[in-house]
Amino acid sequence: MPHRPHSARGGSAGRRARSSRELEFRALLDAAVDAIVVIDHEGTIEDFSRAAEQLFGYEAAEVVGRNVRDLMPEPYRSQHDGYMHRHLRTGERRIIGIGREVVALRKDGREFPCDLAVGQVRGSDPPRFVGFIRDITQRKHAEEELRRSESELRLAQELANLGNYVAGGDGGGDYVSPQLCRILQLHPDQQRITREDYLDRWVHPADRERFEEAFARMDSGTAPLDVEYRIVLADGSVRHLHHLAQAVFGPGGQLVKHVGTIHDITDRRRVEDEARALQERLTHFSRLSTMGEMAAGLAHEINQPLSAIATYAQACQRLIRLPEPALEDVVDALEQINAQALRAGEVIRRLRTFVKNREVRREPVDCTRLLEDLRMLADTDARLHNIRLRIDSDVGLPTVYADPIQLQQVVLNLVRNAIDAMAEVPEERREVLLSSRKASEDEVEIVVADHGTGLAPEATEHLFNPFFTTKASGTGLGLAISRSIVRAHGGRLWHTPNAECGARFHFTLPVSPAVTTGE
Amino acid sequence: MIKEQKPTVFVVDDDSAVRDSLRLLLKSVGLPVEVFESGQEFLDAERDDRPGCLVLDIRMPGMSGLELQVKLNERHSILPIIFITGHGDVPMAVEAMQAGAVDFIQKPFRDQDLLDRINQALEKDAGSRRMLAERNMIRKRLESLTPREREVLDLVVAGKANKVIAGDLNLSQRTVEIHRARVMEKMEAHSLAHLVRMVLEVEHPEA
Repeated sequence: MPHRPHSARGGSAGRRARSSRELEFRALLDAAVDAIVVIDHEGTIEDFSRAAEQLFGYEAAEVVGRNVRDLMPEPYRSQHDGYMHRHLRTGERRIIGIGREVVALRKDGREFPCDLAVGQVRGSDPPRFVGFIRDITQRKHAEEELRRSESELRLAQELANLGNYVAGGDGGGDYVSPQLCRILQLHPDQQRITREDYLDRWVHPADRERFEEAFARMDSGTAPLDVEYRIVLADGSVRHLHHLAQAVFGPGGQLVKHVGTIHDITDRRRVEDEARALQERLTHFSRLSTMGEMAAGLAHEINQPLSAIATYAQACQRLIRLPEPALEDVVDALEQINAQALRAGEVIRRLRTFVKNREVRREPVDCTRLLEDLRMLADTDARLHNIRLRIDSDVGLPTVYADPIQLQQVVLNLVRNAIDAMAEVPEERREVLLSSRKASEDEVEIVVADHGTGLAPEATEHLFNPFFTTKASGTGLGLAISRSIVRAHGGRLWHTPNAECGARFHFTLPVSPAVTTGE
Repeated sequence: MIKEQKPTVFVVDDDSAVRDSLRLLLKSVGLPVEVFESGQEFLDAERDDRPGCLVLDIRMPGMSGLELQVKLNERHSILPIIFITGHGDVPMAVEAMQAGAVDFIQKPFRDQDLLDRINQALEKDAGSRRMLAERNMIRKRLESLTPREREVLDLVVAGKANKVIAGDLNLSQRTVEIHRARVMEKMEAHSLAHLVRMVLEVEHPEA
């Protein structure tokens, strides 16, 4: 700051004799960072520090001798005289020694917020007052910013139904955001919750073990906390939370605090659950309709053993009545009757398993066995249409982790499509090849190949769209559902043209991480 | 030699239990039976056109019962066919009947119903075979005639008197009488009516 000669201050300073004390005071006045204004008992400005000149934009000479009111905007301006008179009359202190936030007026007419502290000069009569003025525009601005970002954060937390907290090393809550209070239905005053409290009062008993495991992993520094669990509120309602947290360790490796967010995902969960339930109902519906389409074939498949049983039984009656009863033949026939009755029962059992509405359950599945299990249902349809079904599985395939019934549903659907595609082709071409092989280290591929009419280019476009069908009696759900089943299992479903004619539908399934069978 | 062969029931069904139960049933009533698991296996078997009947499953993977019937018709097989059908196979059964099947029976069936149909089919087969044998015999006799005897026969069958035949062939009436006697003898005809019937049977079988 350039030094200006005191002469520039004009007459008022010159009027008074300059004792060395006064010079000291001047130096102090000008060195102070805060603006300093000295007034007499009527409010007339006697001194105006250099910082005050800068803050207000006045030269000292311009304001010394004027009333301090000129440095204030309304309403302070008209009230100031009243304040001063009251103080002089009653000695009551409203500002002196207290300080307050006021608004001041610059020479250029702009107003600015400031902190004002006023002191009374001891022993002067009539009294004189010293005002210290600090511009707080920036602080105000920062405060405003902080308030805004806080309210935005609060709004964001409310909208996302997400709360955050900071917890000390002992697990106690040092800070709980308002939204987290709302999520936990916690009174805002009652902020300190220990982990034990939390576990006992909120966490769903069935999820406590998982919760504690996740916390232990975080505290040991292995992994940040990322866990979903349920809480039970005082009114008994259950909410789903997604809890993310991180442990902060001190330089000595000691646990200092946890910081975390808790997201109430109950609504999302419900939507997901509803979508899943709908998907499962649709999948089941599609299985039922597949079975409906296969009813004729299934009736045939049950009629075969029944017919054999009837014929065996009638043959037995005749064999026993022969002059020399052929008992060995009778025993063989009875054995066959037994076997055929079991065979009919098996058809019904498989049918029931296939159409039963059941929970989706993933387990390690041996693809070779799955295809063999499926042969009966698939053969039924093939026989009805004079089509050969050939199964060609690599030996020692690794197991896949899947829902076996849903997998059968996919394969059966593809086989039925293949059969339908060959309705019009000559006898020697009527064969469906169902094969499974290890596509890579971590994938098993199942292929259903036919020698049918193939896929028209315009059909391939819509092939996987729900309700798209080229069949007179199809629902158009088969392929759409098959693809969603395969995707849900982490695999892919696609098609290629068959080498000679017809189509090949492929799908892959990830190998289960568990033990592999065979080699 | 053909006449001496015992008729056999041939069963073609891809379902081993149905096939085996039929084999046992027919065995229990003393009927010779041979079973085949596909139409192709049946076609490949050396049957030398043996007498009997065919019990045929209408639905089979690969060659269906109907397709086997078409192939047998192409080979001029006279083997009577009884089709075994399932539920809802009526349209196929109708098609089979139009292509010449003798009968069809729905599974499951009463054994006696099947055995009755089989017996009827075997009778029909025996009848056709007798007729075929007779025609063959007549043809052989016809082949034994000299060209001149054949000319005389055709004119006799056409209903012409010896005198007219003599004029047509530019022969004496006496010569015609000798030829005619030789024809009657070679054809083993008891009467003129018998002779005419035999010739019509092989040369205009539909009459």
